[in-house]
Amino acid sequence: MMDFLHWVENTGFSTWVRTSSSIWAFPVVLLIHTIGMGLCVGVSAGIDLRILGFGPGIRLAPFEKYFPILWLGFWMNAVTGTILVMQDASSKLTNPDFYVKMIFIALAIINLRIIRVRVFRDPQIDRVPSSTNAKVLAALSLFFWLGAITAGRLLAYVGEASGLK
Amino acid sequence: MESLNLAHAHLLLNHLPTIGFGMGLAIYIAAYFAKNDHLKKAGLVIFFLVAVMAIPTYMTGSAAERVLCPELKCPADVSVPMIRKHEDAALIAFVLMEITGFFSWLALWQLRRTPKIPSINRVGVLLLSVISFGLMALAATEGGEIRHTEIREKLEAAATPGAAAGPEAAAPAPAPTPEGAAAPGAAPTTEPSAAPAAATAAPPAPAEEEHQGIARSIGSAVAGNTGIGWLWPAFETIHFVGLCMLFAVVLMVDLRILGMAKGLSFQSLYQLLPFGMLGFILNLATGMGFFLAAPGQYVHNVEFHRKIVFVVLAGINVLYFLLFDEAWKIGPNDDAPFRSKAVAAVTIFLWLGILYYGHMLPFLGNSF
Repeated sequence: MMDFLHWVENTGFSTWVRTSSSIWAFPVVLLIHTIGMGLCVGVSAGIDLRILGFGPGIRLAPFEKYFPILWLGFWMNAVTGTILVMQDASSKLTNPDFYVKMIFIALAIINLRIIRVRVFRDPQIDRVPSSTNAKVLAALSLFFWLGAITAGRLLAYVGEASGLK
Repeated sequence: MESLNLAHAHLLLNHLPTIGFGMGLAIYIAAYFAKNDHLKKAGLVIFFLVAVMAIPTYMTGSAAERVLCPELKCPADVSVPMIRKHEDAALIAFVLMEITGFFSWLALWQLRRTPKIPSINRVGVLLLSVISFGLMALAATEGGEIRHTEIREKLEAAATPGAAAGPEAAAPAPAPTPEGAAAPGAAPTTEPSAAPAAATAAPPAPAEEEHQGIARSIGSAVAGNTGIGWLWPAFETIHFVGLCMLFAVVLMVDLRILGMAKGLSFQSLYQLLPFGMLGFILNLATGMGFFLAAPGQYVHNVEFHRKIVFVVLAGINVLYFLLFDEAWKIGPNDDAPFRSKAVAAVTIFLWLGILYYGHMLPFLGNSF
């Protein structure tokens, strides 16, 4: 297994991302990862807060139109995240913190799909205040994203630290 | 050597918080008693803009110190304790000024939704601005004394009559490095703790910190020098959370103006603005933590200069949404006027720019 991880991080592309002094290598990949986080978590947090009762005068239904931005951010991060793991596979994939982050993201995405079905497909949307169930989902969503950001940030500090400190 | 360095920038900017706030205060107090709402609004705008400009003012101060004292060694005629004193006074005034700026912004935000500012905030801004102005004037005076030794000597001579030797005797004393000044004070304080055979390298540290002042102490705590190693990573995490909060609002409001989710009116999304401001406050607080922890990483970092210029521009930019009527009139399913769309695009551009420059600090600049 370790052989495979070493092979992954020593492919031409991984080595280029890791060692190139070009701004288009590591810096831009990580920049896109940060912008993607802003888009994905930002939009998700806005929706969650509205469900929780912030900005009660705002109609909730049109918020669904923001989902493409959220998914754009998510896929930006899925792609750049994969590159960032590849270029440091042997330490990232053996770091428990990395799996904590992945679990948080998985939970956040599953939760988001439930919110989409339960809240946005509800014919009563905007006619009655958000149900307790919806509020619990929204609070969980904020918690999962907070967990993902914290675990992600700590990847630079926990375990065999590498990358941007 | 370039003709204009950051010390000059500090000299240019440092009059702004005191004079600007003085003007704002005069206008606000006049409006308060004349019950003139337009004038009051003008005072609030000035408070907010001066609070925004206080950010580069504070930061160029650290740069000025490095120009004055290259390699952290100050020449004999520059007093280190005096710089520390000015830095602390400036930091306290800065914090108060940012709080005033926030509540002024909040009052402007409230004015859109209600015809009158709620009285608690009206009085709050008045009190905060008076305190900020006093503290800033104090900080400015102490800052002026660093280089204008002639004021200092006159003041000291006046305080101790007949002691012309006073300033001369005082002048050489601060010249040596902080260790020299801290050593005599350290001896008595280490005595009690040294008794239980714990006389390792640790005891001298507290005495030196005492000499450092507030700004340096906060800085070294965030940098992890006081043993709280998780503080810097925690600040970074909060900085990212603040970023997400800010982006949530920037994206939702500005993308709506640009034509996404048209079912929402601007007035309803307007309710989200204070939430974005909260994100900014988190980032200003944690960002100042980084700056105090490692000023050397930032003061000579061009990417950081650009970031702060963008922050100032974004500060001016947010006023559009509070003060102009055209955005306010965008109802459900309305197409926004061109100028609103242009400003919305600029807003997104500015915040992406701030994210870009912040992100590139370690790659293009000299931060770690």
